[in-house]
Order: sequence, then structure tokens, then C-alpha cells
Amino acid sequence: MPTQEEKAQDEILVRDMKAGSMEAFNKIFELYQRKIYALSFNMTRNQMDAQDVTQDVLLTIYRKINTFQEKSAFSSWVYRITLNATYMKLRTKKKDQYVSLDESLPNFNHSGFQNEKISNWSKSTDSLLFSNETKKVIEKAVDLLPEKEKVVFILRDVEGLSTEKVGDILDLTIPAVKSRLHRARLFLRKKLSHYFDEYQTRSAKQ
Amino acid sequence: MICCKECIELLCDYFEGTLDPETASSLEDHFKDCPPCVSFLETYRQTSDLCRKTLTAVEIPEPVQEKLREFVKTHILNR
Ligand SMILES: [Zn+2]
Repeated sequence: MPTQEEKAQDEILVRDMKAGSMEAFNKIFELYQRKIYALSFNMTRNQMDAQDVTQDVLLTIYRKINTFQEKSAFSSWVYRITLNATYMKLRTKKKDQYVSLDESLPNFNHSGFQNEKISNWSKSTDSLLFSNETKKVIEKAVDLLPEKEKVVFILRDVEGLSTEKVGDILDLTIPAVKSRLHRARLFLRKKLSHYFDEYQTRSAKQ
Repeated sequence: MICCKECIELLCDYFEGTLDPETASSLEDHFKDCPPCVSFLETYRQTSDLCRKTLTAVEIPEPVQEKLREFVKTHILNR
């Protein structure tokens, strides 16, 4: 989350950029390049694409800064430009594999109670966290999410932006943000559960 | 008592802290009596944590960083 000081700093830099200051642009470049690159990389999982997107976004910031109106935060504007450029990239290589998010829930009986044991792997992930295998599984699961859910999940849970901010960036209501976030988390939880269950069975056999 | 299905639907709001106190406490009452939902709740939360820890670690690789500096220099700063 941007702090109050960061917001104030952005405002000064934006004002200076509008007045043509290259120094201000350079500062924005230093401050935002990682955010732009990381968001784009997490959406495309492709270094070359994320690099292209980052360059596009920097150019757009430079060229369009005078059209930026201070109605929303500068950071929201940058995230929006980043997503637009990212979508353009994704569109050129449409993969459109259809994934259903509907089967992410556990089994319920007719009165809505769970009737299966739910394995709780939440405390046994520490040693696995930075293993390459776990990382790959997580990346792959996130990549499987449909775009709408993926972007909400990345902004909210990965980048750590507030629900309000995500709504502002994507022009969505708060309930819409939460519902996409929830669907994404349920789907990912299910995928990770398969992996950790299987992992535990594997290690028990050894 | 609210059922497991309703519980799971409320999880996102529960973690956001946006449930009204009454609903939040009936959710917590449910958790006291329902180990499967506790497992679900903990793995739901852990899913976000794991993904964040794994994916926020994205840094710009040095060759890309080099290209970006070069790009800014030629296309913007020295235009
Ligand atoms: Zn339950």
C-alpha cells in the first residue's frame, strides 16, 4: 500500500513531469519499474513480454502524463496502463484454455455440511516453501486462472493492494472484487491441496 | 447454526473484517464445532500467503534492467 508520504511524493513528481522535468521522470522510472515489470511478469510469465510491456508503459507515462487527471492516484493510473499493455500482449497469443472454477468447493451433504475429511496442510509447508517444485506448482496454478480472477488475485493477494484500490484500478465494485478474489482463492486452494496431499503421501512412503 | 457451505462463502469477508459482528460470531461458533471448516479456513489463508511469498519475489533480471535503462535513455531522456 502506498503511504501518505509516497502519495505526496508522487504528486510532486507528477507536477514536475508535467512541467517537463526529466529528473522527475527518471525518479518515477526508478520508483515504478519493478511494480510494472512484476505485475506484467506475473500475468504473462514471460520475461520478454514483461520487458516489452514495461517499455510501453514507460513511454506512455512520458507521452500521456498531461492527460493524467488527479482524480485517482497516480499509482492506479500506472497499474491501469500496465494492465492494458499486458492484455494487448496476451491477446496476440491467445491460449484460451477453459478452466472451470466451479469445482473448487468441498463436498457438502444436502443440508450444506461437509462430509469429508479436509486435510490441513497449512502448517507443513515451511520446508517446502522455497523449493523449486512448490514454486512451479504455484505458478502453474495461478497461470490456469481465467484472466478476470487472475488479475484481481495478483493485485490483491500478491501485490497486497487494498480491495478498494483494486476496485479503483479495474473499475469494479467492492463486492465484484471480493467475489473474484474468493473464486481465485478457492481454485488455488484446491490445486495446492492436491499437491500437498500428494507430497505427504510421497514422503510417507519413503 | 450456519452450515459449512455458508461459512465458506463468508470467508473472504471474514478475513477482510467486513462482516457484521453477529455474523462473524456465528461463524466463529461454527468453527468451534467443525474441524473440517477450520482446516478449510487455515488452508484458504495459507494459499494466499504462499502465493504472495512465491510471486512477490519477482525482481527485474539484470539483462532486462540494462535494456530498460538503455530504452529510457534513447527513447525518452535523449530524444
Ligand atoms: Zn463446517
